[in-house]
Amino acid sequence: MAAAVAVPEHKLSESPNSRAIEIFDWTVTAKTGPISSAAQCDALQASLGIPHPEMMFGYNLLQIKHRPSGWTYAFRSEDALRGVKSGPLEDGDGGVKVGYADTWLKSRTGADSQIPLPQMVATKPYDWTYTTTYAGSLDDAGSRNAQWTPAEPSNAHHSIPIAELSRPDPILFYAEIPLFDDELHDNGASHLLVRVRVMPTCIFILSRFTLRVDNVLFRAHDTRVYHSFASAPPLVVRETRGWEAPHERVKRALPRRDDLMPLTDPNFICKVLSDMPKEVSQEAGAGTGWRGLGTVVQVTTLQP
Amino acid sequence: MEHEVDGWIQQLSQCKQLTEADVKKLCDKTREILMEESNHDLSELFRIGGNSPDTNYLFMGDYVDRGYYSVETVTLLVAMKLRYRDRVTILRGNHESRQITQVYGFYDECLRKYGNANVWRFFTDLFDFLPLTALIENQIFCLHGGLSPSIDTLDHVRAIDRVQEVPHEGPMCDLLWSDPDDRCGWGISPRGAGYTFGQDISEAFNHNNGLTLVARAHQLVMEGYNWGQDRNVVTIFSAPNYCYRCGNQAAIMEIDEKLSYSFLQFDPAPRAGEPLVSRRVPDYFLVNYHLYHELHDELIVIFKQ
Repeated sequence: MAAAVAVPEHKLSESPNSRAIEIFDWTVTAKTGPISSAAQCDALQASLGIPHPEMMFGYNLLQIKHRPSGWTYAFRSEDALRGVKSGPLEDGDGGVKVGYADTWLKSRTGADSQIPLPQMVATKPYDWTYTTTYAGSLDDAGSRNAQWTPAEPSNAHHSIPIAELSRPDPILFYAEIPLFDDELHDNGASHLLVRVRVMPTCIFILSRFTLRVDNVLFRAHDTRVYHSFASAPPLVVRETRGWEAPHERVKRALPRRDDLMPLTDPNFICKVLSDMPKEVSQEAGAGTGWRGLGTVVQVTTLQP
Repeated sequence: MEHEVDGWIQQLSQCKQLTEADVKKLCDKTREILMEESNHDLSELFRIGGNSPDTNYLFMGDYVDRGYYSVETVTLLVAMKLRYRDRVTILRGNHESRQITQVYGFYDECLRKYGNANVWRFFTDLFDFLPLTALIENQIFCLHGGLSPSIDTLDHVRAIDRVQEVPHEGPMCDLLWSDPDDRCGWGISPRGAGYTFGQDISEAFNHNNGLTLVARAHQLVMEGYNWGQDRNVVTIFSAPNYCYRCGNQAAIMEIDEKLSYSFLQFDPAPRAGEPLVSRRVPDYFLVNYHLYHELHDELIVIFKQ
């Protein structure tokens, strides 16, 4: 057992759809409510220009605020969806079709088709997988107008300390905030879920996008945000990682061949993708040319 | 037989699964009924003016693959069909398919609860016999997904060879998968498969077939129901707090003998012991279920009225 960590003074507050913690110079707020109403969804759709995901948690929010500087960082579904490609998909967007798209179209356009296509109208193109590399929203840059800058590899503080996060310290605040979910009409699943953990020594956020397109591919994009209360001046580390692999390749990692359920579990998917060699899941991916692959670590320094 | 089915219904009402042998018997018997009824693909049920004062129930697909009690839920529904064959109609949804249930959980749940895939096989074999559509008093056309460009008239529906696994192409696939859209005309979904249909399409379909309404399921809506396409189409969603986290209301559509309709909405956490619906017994309920857990008890309440 690691040595016990002293629990710092903190204040928890709670209302039916919102919880918050104040600790040191920080306020962390998590809001969770039901999915958006039909009217809200219509308004969102008009504003985004793309159909909204099936489960749209428009009310949900995670926000962290550094009170002395005013720096405020947030995760919300509408902002995440602004990162979804609207319009024809281009190089780097990583666009895919469903697994049986060719069969489907051929059955309607082939020479011997019994069921030819009717007169068609063009449907608005957009990324129906809701792929986003959203890494959070800067609600307020704070007094120093803090910007994200590349981490220095030689600086030990410019990385997320896994050892500290794995230590069984008390968890003072934890929240899971779903931002959106879509089952892609039963062709897979697209999820964006934010989790936050406040410990005696740090704040840690994981925002995880996972995508499964049946018989096509798996894709994931993680954003981790870490702040150590001990950092001086206060430093925030943000790490984003994107992975992708063909469906078949992830399927090979199933513990039991006939049980496909783990393929619906974002944690399983991310574990398999991140355990693969970098050249496979962070470079080659599923051959879609998606720009989200790879790892980026950045930091921002706040006014004490 | 009736007595035996009553026993099953009672057992399932307590969310206790049947034995594998009973499930087999249930599915075999129900298949016989469905085959007798399948002279028309279109289930033209619900003749008003009959002697029965009872409420009829129409379920619009997707009974499995969500929640922890898919097995109990679908078994109960099928048992009710067997017991009250003239009053209960269960349509097929896109989840009532071998392929989909292997990915989305029902297969796994059967394995877990029975130790083998037999029960999954009994049910998925039975699903092939479920009707795709129902027509209420020649006015309301009910189905799981939406319209198909291969289907202009109700006669086209009758001509579908539907006793098979849900295919990836053809009108049967469209009826289970297609969606209304803001744009006019037929479109192909950006997913690369599946149709979307505009208001002009549903208007023409209703007009040409003397219908007033297409009632469908297939899409989650916060309020439990949602009018679309200038009231030519209504979407009904009957699972509250979908997937245990959406916080949505559920709705069922109630239709009286004059074919006027209203919607009963209910909340994720219904109060125990209180009847869920109004005291007046409606003539029809249109229900779309990804039916599970919370709804399990409610279904019984509705049915006993």
